[in-house]
Amino acid sequence: MFRSPKCGAFTAALLMSISPVLIAGPLGIGAPATAEMIAGWDIDIRPDGQGLPPGAGSVADGEGLYEAQCASCHGLFGEGAGRWPVLAGGEGTLDTAHPEKTVGSYWPYASTLWDYIHRAMPYPAPQSLTDDEVYAITAYVLYLNDIVDDDFVLNQETFQEVKMPNEPNFYIDDRPDVVNTRCMANCADPALFEIVTTINGVTPTAHFKEDSGVAANHYGNESSGAESVKVALSDAAVAGESVHAKACNVCHGAGIAGAPVTGDAGAWTDRIAQGMSTLNKHAIEGYVGKNGVMPAKGGNMALSDDEVANAVAFMVESSQ
Amino acid sequence: MTTIRIKAKERAGIVDVKSLMKHPMETGLRKDKDGNIIPPHFIQEIVAENNGAVVFSGSFNTSISKDPYLSFQYSGKKGDKLTLSWADNQGQKESTTVDVG
Repeated sequence: MFRSPKCGAFTAALLMSISPVLIAGPLGIGAPATAEMIAGWDIDIRPDGQGLPPGAGSVADGEGLYEAQCASCHGLFGEGAGRWPVLAGGEGTLDTAHPEKTVGSYWPYASTLWDYIHRAMPYPAPQSLTDDEVYAITAYVLYLNDIVDDDFVLNQETFQEVKMPNEPNFYIDDRPDVVNTRCMANCADPALFEIVTTINGVTPTAHFKEDSGVAANHYGNESSGAESVKVALSDAAVAGESVHAKACNVCHGAGIAGAPVTGDAGAWTDRIAQGMSTLNKHAIEGYVGKNGVMPAKGGNMALSDDEVANAVAFMVESSQ
Repeated sequence: MTTIRIKAKERAGIVDVKSLMKHPMETGLRKDKDGNIIPPHFIQEIVAENNGAVVFSGSFNTSISKDPYLSFQYSGKKGDKLTLSWADNQGQKESTTVDVG
């Protein structure tokens, strides 16, 4: 779309790859990329200037280009129109409550500027600028940040003179676990590795109370990890587990409104002694006892009687 | 290198001026990390002169943002000399002259 000659070459190469002449390699598909195809992708610019094409652009050239192509969003002075990215200013704000990260205040390398403008700008028509235009706009943005003077001309050589103010604040990560030397031969046997220590207390675990008897349902039904519910459940109880999680656990998980906590055998013994039919009746129709109130179907009238009975079976079998 | 950037363009007898002044514009109400008040430091007076004649002037105060952006228009022509200057409450002054384009 943006580079029709290269798109054309690419399409042609694709068509050619269908012909049996070019089929090669272990899978018998595809075709070697031509030098021109690779050049179309190989557009990155390294911090040391590697990848910069021949060409040049001055701050003065860049001023007009910037005002025509960039200023409508980034502002005449790089101050950013509306909420578009600010390009200039913000020096000395990085360690404040409101850091303003701009080319001048934050970016470590000018190569990113050239690469990004060339690759992605202007926003509505990326890669529409010539190399000289990219040099000129890059020079002008550097000028807006007071990094270069107004008579500066940017090219492959003068690029080396550009030093970004914040570059010294970037450094190679020096934490001990990221500077190990990569082993490529005669490495230690992983089977002999030993875990010396682990880091605890990072993940919140307060909701896993093993003695609460509450099935931890934070991760779905598969984590009924509490010991007291690790009993063989009947089919009805298994079916009732999800109903319990949705409708019953609100109260029976924490003992709200006098509800016997699921898994608390002591609270359930006398209740179970009344028989399943009584428990089911209380659960389906509601019940007011001396300890608390059981709303009909737990207040969830969308449940069928069978679903409630299954949930009761789950609670009873989990609490014996 | 001046801290005032100015764009002045004439069109049909009207000069359109856009400018950005680098200035901290501290109100004197903020505190630094140690709880000490950051002393007020803001532009108080701003004057724009075209070939020596005042075409715009104003009083800034603490309600103006950091690095103020100022835009105004006046009658003028290409080649005029536009001078923009400010003075702040700490007695600092800054001035820049550009040709109207």
